[in-house]
Amino acid sequence: MSHLLSYGIPGLAYGCVFALLGMGLVLTYQTSGVFNLAFGAQAYASAVAFYVCVSHGWPIWAAFLLAVVFGAPALGVLMQIGLFRLVRTKPPLVKLVAALGMLIAIPAVLEAGFGAGQLINPPSLWLSPSTIYLHVAGAAINGTELSIVIVTFSVALGCSLLFHFTQIGLRMKAMAESPRMVALAGVNTEAVGIASWMLSSFLAGLAGVLLAPSFGGLQATNFTDLLVAAVAAAAAGSLTSLPYAFLGGILLGVAEEILGGYLPSGAILSSGLRPGFPFVVLLGLLLFLPGLRRRWGKTDDPLAGCDPPPAALMSTVSGPLFRQASRGTILLLVGGFIASVLTWVSGSWVFTITQALVFGIVFLSLVLLTGMSGQISLCQATFAGVGAFTAGQLAAHFNLSILVGLLVAGIVSAAIGVVVALPALRLGGLALALATLAFGLLADNIGFQYSWSGNGQSGITVPRPQLGPINFTSDRSYFVLVCIVLALCVAIVTAIARGTTGRQLAALRGSELAAASIGINPARLKVVVFALSAGIAGVGGALYASLDQSVSASDFNTLISLVLVVVVATIGVYTVEGAIEAGFAYVLLNTVLTTDLPSQYSSLLELLFGAGAIVYVLHPEGVVEYLKRLVLEHFPWRHPAGDPAA
Amino acid sequence: MTKLLEIRSVSVRFGGIHALDDVSLDVGAGEAVGLIGPNGAGKTTLFDCITGVRRPDRGEIRFDGKRIDSLPVHRRSRLGIGRTFQRIELFAGMTTRDHLLVAERERGGDGRLWRDLLGRGAPTPEETRRVDSMITELQLEDFADAQIESLSLGQGRLVELGRALIPEPRLLLLDEPSSGLDSRESAALADVVNDVRRQRDTAVLLVEHDLDLVQAVVDRAYVLDLGRLIASGPLADVFADTAVRKAYLGDGT
Repeated sequence: MSHLLSYGIPGLAYGCVFALLGMGLVLTYQTSGVFNLAFGAQAYASAVAFYVCVSHGWPIWAAFLLAVVFGAPALGVLMQIGLFRLVRTKPPLVKLVAALGMLIAIPAVLEAGFGAGQLINPPSLWLSPSTIYLHVAGAAINGTELSIVIVTFSVALGCSLLFHFTQIGLRMKAMAESPRMVALAGVNTEAVGIASWMLSSFLAGLAGVLLAPSFGGLQATNFTDLLVAAVAAAAAGSLTSLPYAFLGGILLGVAEEILGGYLPSGAILSSGLRPGFPFVVLLGLLLFLPGLRRRWGKTDDPLAGCDPPPAALMSTVSGPLFRQASRGTILLLVGGFIASVLTWVSGSWVFTITQALVFGIVFLSLVLLTGMSGQISLCQATFAGVGAFTAGQLAAHFNLSILVGLLVAGIVSAAIGVVVALPALRLGGLALALATLAFGLLADNIGFQYSWSGNGQSGITVPRPQLGPINFTSDRSYFVLVCIVLALCVAIVTAIARGTTGRQLAALRGSELAAASIGINPARLKVVVFALSAGIAGVGGALYASLDQSVSASDFNTLISLVLVVVVATIGVYTVEGAIEAGFAYVLLNTVLTTDLPSQYSSLLELLFGAGAIVYVLHPEGVVEYLKRLVLEHFPWRHPAGDPAA
Repeated sequence: MTKLLEIRSVSVRFGGIHALDDVSLDVGAGEAVGLIGPNGAGKTTLFDCITGVRRPDRGEIRFDGKRIDSLPVHRRSRLGIGRTFQRIELFAGMTTRDHLLVAERERGGDGRLWRDLLGRGAPTPEETRRVDSMITELQLEDFADAQIESLSLGQGRLVELGRALIPEPRLLLLDEPSSGLDSRESAALADVVNDVRRQRDTAVLLVEHDLDLVQAVVDRAYVLDLGRLIASGPLADVFADTAVRKAYLGDGT
């Protein structure tokens, strides 16, 4: 019992941070419908600002004013006005990509400005972390922990007063239902939205500055990893209740520390506990809280019917002549491209181009999943990793050819995809996204750390395949192999898109209720597509591993999954060619910015993803589709039926 | 006449409100039955219970003699229950023809993925013929390949009707099919429903406020008010019933 308390009491401090973050998430989700995944990044931003001010000799109170009282809300307002205001009535994918863009861009900008991992020993806001202030049940409470608990409880009290006794609190609650209805009642919803973002960003900043001293140095991942815990806390409040989110956060922190106390220290399980445990809790909540399921199932504003329909794809509105002309051109281009790579293109570029095609396969898995079936996966890199490590380990231990390994990799990834999808599929799109995010973090911290899987940071080596006399060791021959696999995957996805399954998926996207009413089994269809998509990602991952010949867990971490979603959504997630274009965009940008330019420009890439998210919000059909439309509108031979007004 | 749909003592509560209170009704094979009542009477809730969108708190529902209470929506549909929706539910981004084709395909059941992968996903001549004849029947020839968003509400309701009819249901549930239509369009809709009944012997359960349409389609009706069944029988008797007049017109005379 005394053990239990001495483990649990320090957990209270973590719990308080989770509670602050959870409350902030609930707040912005309620008023703007955006599940703000960039929340941890905002906490990190305030912690960095606070650090920099203090290290320049500012007094603590002044640094606190700038970083938390003014800076954090200012960042929130900026994000709300520049981005999230625009997505309030958009589909879940758009909202998610907007938040993801910020999650990727904010830490990248800060790390470029202040150097990653160079901010060591962050200052504490109030009480000294090295002083023990009191002992509770044998647990020593240091200044950081004590100040976190005191500040958190005061802030929670303040929030509760705000929502119970002020008009702005009431308006924020009303906004949750439908901002447009609130606007019709004469309320300035923009102002209310901004106020709620200010409050929630303040909470994020406060949590960031309070928590900073418990880390040795300020690193973005320390803060972004808090996300799952914050999500679990918000889920405990069914995404609607601030008090329950608060309570959920605290309980989560305490339970996590108690569990950590009983696990052997140093084991992978215990070092991966912090991201792993909230995942289990989150999944449990998703499955057993029916209120949560309803809330996440419902994504639409009651007045959503006022919105114009999304832009139609070019292929559905272009004329037959145009289609024939473009098909001929594409064939010619592809042929010329393959011939060029096989003959005169230089060696390092063959490697880069092959890599682009491999990523094209991974992006194709997202086209199938997100573009065609409307589901969102934030662990596609994890599935690629499963494929890579499966093929690699089979080659290492059983001397299995990579060519067979590719197939096994696809099957294993698909099977794991089923396991991930089954519990989450009864829920709405956001819940699936969060479940996959949590699964990805779990794999990063636990699954891929074992020597029989990804072998952590040291990684594994993966050979190039050999088929009888044909050897794929040279980059050019491997390029041919990748082209063949890509062509097969494209054929699969195209066949599905054109066949019954594609129509069923389109029906499901249109109206799940009506689809079920004509006999389509939504759950089965979603699981099948999710598994197929995971399988394609797994094949892509195995190809990537064999191309690079050495891969580690960090090649497939969750941040990469998030980047993949942002990139393919921005370029075009509704077409097969969008996937391949995304592959080239991603790999070429990566290569140019990280190897061909001085190192300080490398964060430009993440900045571009942030900008991409904004472009995507404005053109959810994807940049490529948007450009095609621009071109076609100036084309003389377009189909008369292609004009939506006709 | 054999009973196709039997509803026995079904109750649904939303918090403290009885949306449906001990409701029982029957629809015979091939019979057209009306379900009328003021707004909030529980008509759509009853439809949701029959199709499986909502589970009743108490009571049982039988279709063709078998209990279907615990089956999910798509399984009930495959047994032969089709429906249209009060708030129209169409598949955004698809054409009229695709709406009908995807419904026609469902007659084949699951397991279409392998056929897709083998390149056998294109419509067969038989499927195309059936879809075309439905389009002709609904007089939607001019809109067969139009995106669904470009159709008017009345045409959209016809597409919904076609989508529900094409799997050849034995029971068709129509939820306020005439709302949002002008009188000419509702008359056309009544013609289509009557034609279908004559040709295929489909049973119809019709929720409707437009009493002209009700009279044109059904022989007898049930009346719901505040979740309770207050009258049933041939149309003329139902309209003469004092309780019905009170519920609709607010007078007991």
